[in-house]
Amino acid sequence: MSNDTDWLVGAGLALSAIAATAMLQPRPRTSPSPAPARLPPRTGPHPRASVRAARRLNRAAGMLAASVLADSSVEHYRGSFKNKAMVTPLAVSALTLAMSAHGTADRRPWAHRLRDGSYLLAAATGLIGTGFHVYNVTKKVGGFSWQNLFYGAPLGAPMAILLSGLLGFCSERVRDTSRARRPHVFGLPAARTIAAVTAAGLLGTSGEAGLLHFRGAFHNPFMAVPVTLPPLGAALLFNAAARDPDDDATRAHPLTRAWMWLLAAMGFIGIGFHAYGVSRNMGGWRNWSQNILAGPPLPAPPSFTGLALAGLAALGLMREHPDA
Amino acid sequence: MHDRSRPPALPNRYPDYDVLAKRNGESWNDKTREVIAERLAVTATPLFFSASEFLLLEAIAARIVPQPSSRPPIPVAALVDRKLHADVADGYRADGMPRHRDAWRRGLRALEAEARAAFQRPFVELSEATQDELLRHAEAGELKAADWGGMRCEDFFKRRLLHDIVLAYYAHPTAWSEIGWGGPASPRGYVRLDVNDRDPWEPAEAEPGREQEAARINRHVR
Amino acid sequence: MSVEMSDDPQATPRAIEGRAPDVFRPGGWVPMRCHRDEDAVDFVIVGTGAGGGTLACKLAEYGFSVVALDAGPYFRPLEDFASDESEQTKLYWTDDRISDGANPLQLGSNNSGKAVGGSTVHFAMVSLRFRPEWFKSRTLLGYGADWPIDWREMWNYYTEVEQALKISGPITYPWGPKRPRYPYRAHPLNAAARVLAKGCEALGVSWTETPLATLSAPRGLAHPCVYRGFCVAGCSTNAKQSALVTWIPRALAAGAEIRDLAMVGRIEVDDDDLVSGVHYHRGGRWHFQRARNVVVAGYAIETPRLLLNSATDRHRDGLANSSGLVGKNLMTQSNQAVWGLMDDEIRSYKGPPSLAITEHWNYQDKGKDFFGGYAYMSQGPLPQLWANTLAQARGLWGARLVEEMTNYNHVAGLKIVGEMLPQERNRVTLADEVDQYGLRIPRVTYSWCDNDRRLIDHSLAFMTRALEAAGAKDIWTQDDDTCHLNGTARMGDDPRASVVDADCRSWDIPNLWICDGSVFPTVGGVNPSLTIQAIACRTADRIRAMARRGELTGQRATGTRTAAHATSASS
Repeated sequence: MSNDTDWLVGAGLALSAIAATAMLQPRPRTSPSPAPARLPPRTGPHPRASVRAARRLNRAAGMLAASVLADSSVEHYRGSFKNKAMVTPLAVSALTLAMSAHGTADRRPWAHRLRDGSYLLAAATGLIGTGFHVYNVTKKVGGFSWQNLFYGAPLGAPMAILLSGLLGFCSERVRDTSRARRPHVFGLPAARTIAAVTAAGLLGTSGEAGLLHFRGAFHNPFMAVPVTLPPLGAALLFNAAARDPDDDATRAHPLTRAWMWLLAAMGFIGIGFHAYGVSRNMGGWRNWSQNILAGPPLPAPPSFTGLALAGLAALGLMREHPDA
Repeated sequence: MHDRSRPPALPNRYPDYDVLAKRNGESWNDKTREVIAERLAVTATPLFFSASEFLLLEAIAARIVPQPSSRPPIPVAALVDRKLHADVADGYRADGMPRHRDAWRRGLRALEAEARAAFQRPFVELSEATQDELLRHAEAGELKAADWGGMRCEDFFKRRLLHDIVLAYYAHPTAWSEIGWGGPASPRGYVRLDVNDRDPWEPAEAEPGREQEAARINRHVR
Repeated sequence: MSVEMSDDPQATPRAIEGRAPDVFRPGGWVPMRCHRDEDAVDFVIVGTGAGGGTLACKLAEYGFSVVALDAGPYFRPLEDFASDESEQTKLYWTDDRISDGANPLQLGSNNSGKAVGGSTVHFAMVSLRFRPEWFKSRTLLGYGADWPIDWREMWNYYTEVEQALKISGPITYPWGPKRPRYPYRAHPLNAAARVLAKGCEALGVSWTETPLATLSAPRGLAHPCVYRGFCVAGCSTNAKQSALVTWIPRALAAGAEIRDLAMVGRIEVDDDDLVSGVHYHRGGRWHFQRARNVVVAGYAIETPRLLLNSATDRHRDGLANSSGLVGKNLMTQSNQAVWGLMDDEIRSYKGPPSLAITEHWNYQDKGKDFFGGYAYMSQGPLPQLWANTLAQARGLWGARLVEEMTNYNHVAGLKIVGEMLPQERNRVTLADEVDQYGLRIPRVTYSWCDNDRRLIDHSLAFMTRALEAAGAKDIWTQDDDTCHLNGTARMGDDPRASVVDADCRSWDIPNLWICDGSVFPTVGGVNPSLTIQAIACRTADRIRAMARRGELTGQRATGTRTAAHATSASS
């Protein structure tokens, strides 16, 4: 039972922490990014810009995967890994994380088959995981009730690995189409598609934060932050995705970009708030073996950082490709 | 009627679990450590009862909560003695019952008198089966020796004797380990509350034939 | 911290010399306004539990000078409470009492408390509203007695108490008229609660998470519940919203004085038939605290006992007793249970003992052969309580007992809180024997009526079916337990048929008040603590209104003197 799986959790947490830090390392200096104002107007492809956007997306996918790895390690440890399938998200998010790190470092303008495969696997894991979680909630006595939504398997959680997979998959498409006239995903303009997916992700993640903060009765006013800022960010992203692509003046989206940075920061500050929350429980950090599990989840807030990074990647691509 | 005289057949459901292994961990606070240390230091010498009363109480306790010989016994009689010595009361008594200290003294005297009247021997020298028989008569309200005074023997048996002895036994960590209880829990309580859930700091129950597996886990419960 | 650790709250008073224990900090203190015995205060309150603690807070916040006395110690739960059933019996009222009648009550543990905060320090935190019809049960349902208070008014006071205690409860409550959302969310269900839920679903009746006075999220300096399961042995984390950690800190902040280890033995009546103060024992000797009003809040046994022990030549039958009803109409609530074994591990020692509830038979009148109602809840007995239950109620001892105890982690149980009818023959009187203070001890007489028996039989049959449906085996019934105590100084509209009026003011002595569970004309099928606190809040509002109109007797100064103080303290 759970005693045997301690090492699994430790490894998951360590890996995700290292990865999250690595994902936020500044990009290598070898890839100078020209200021948008100095970009010559172009109608054709610009491989370097697309690859840059793709790498940013890899990074965003990695960030999300790191969050999932840490979160599912802790939560499935709490669930004592009763079902053997509960190790799946740990393995898949670790793989996604590795692939994303690889992609973040990779400057070649074409998709990587292994990365592609692992991103699809991540997306599939998210879908199947959601199914598992829905089953877990509905099979409990009381069924689809507040009690089971609050305390059963969180319905929204597997969506994070789905999003990670989707963003990674989009990243590969952007990279792959960098030699085409415009980057696209299944024929859709890549930047705007990714912006829309990210916006949807922000809404979903915010919804989950809302559910759990409602469970905590919003006892601290700061608990309202992750249910107010991200939906506004999502609205801004949707708006950016819907803008007239030919209107150069509107392509920079400075407010949306600033908002994404705000959300990225919020994700990290959220860890601090959650750490404070753990300390507020009986016994504080000394009683870590209970309070890490019972207190607010430390790995949850960085999901917002991952999505914000994806939003930034989409906005960057949008700025450089009028019709992306 | 079931046979009370046989020794308990205690299944080893929580092999190698010792609730005291958690003593220095996060599940015990200082006050709990202090209280339990005091309880564990209780020796089998009476502070309240006389030596002969205490021997009789020990014999009765061995019938109410028989203990396996495979482990050091819980000093049940001494724990009852300490409670009376500290004058810890229940908060009520039946009409006709003296207060707890007097009830115990009178009740023991009466049981001894009943033993001598019915079997011409002191209670402690009776066979276990005979001791049980006498206790069953007390339980059923069938003992009428003059020593009982106004106290009904069934009230004494149920509200005093049985009550105090059972509580003393289950106040001891050895008994807690025996039944697989998590034990003291503060500041650390529990996280996994649902059906078949177990925190790593709770004992694992052995499935028949898989005692080794449970024992391995239970040795690490802290 | 180390300096104060050595003090023994059970031996020497803590709340003295201008300070009281800070319940939120080990070894900590908070300032306390103190009064001299010879200075008449506006209100002396006897008891600091659900009734007295709440009223002390509200009256102090309204600007009255208040001294509240409690016979018990002033604990700091964080440092004084052990995780141990034996040790924590120190929370109980274990003074000598005699129990008789055809169905003698078991007293001392689950229905009494001797500590600042009263029995709320170890109550099971179940915080339920009365069914509205119960306030007019005689008129609407044909049994018991009507309350002199309208349910709609009570509904508002329930809301006030639920907010004050940050009750955690379900999003929607399945029974009764709409109520506001509980301030905190319900706790997670433990396995024992899931068993109740399964049984209810199988039998087609509603169930829900029990509204509980324990935190599901942090609140101020109080920690959220850690599900340690020792609730009825005292909460060592302050998650439990007892009077000790809610009303009383507020009362102190508003200027009330709390005196611990202060046993009130007699209320003094002057020649004008007004009370003038109380005699209390503290620090080894008797004192007399002068007061313009006296509130008795000692719960259903100590309240009538004090009134009876205060008899004088002019009040031969005790104070406030012209109706002859002081001590009569004692009502406990039936507390019968059905227990069984599950194949699954239940480990019901985790979490608050009663996380799930059904009030179906409180609200459903069809199919009943009795008056009144009952709720039943999931259970989580700790080892000593469970062993004692097997011994006392199932008659196990010897090898059978120790063997059965090894099934502890598989036990699931359902237990009722059932309405018992008021009967004058069920009463508290004085015995001839005296206690450690030299005061005559109470004799508590109780016998069930046929209706009580029918309700119990109905509940045991229903719960047996529910437990079977949930998959339990070896099912047996426990039919000997009793819980909360109410009645003995009932409120009403008629001075001949009640002891106090709707404002908890005694009919006979206008500056003598009674504010606790003793004023209940009927008990209903729910735990009484929320209703006691709601009554206390209402009483405080009524007293303030009367004071403003100059209707309080006893030369009370008007509330204006300290009105500014009250405003600042309550903000």
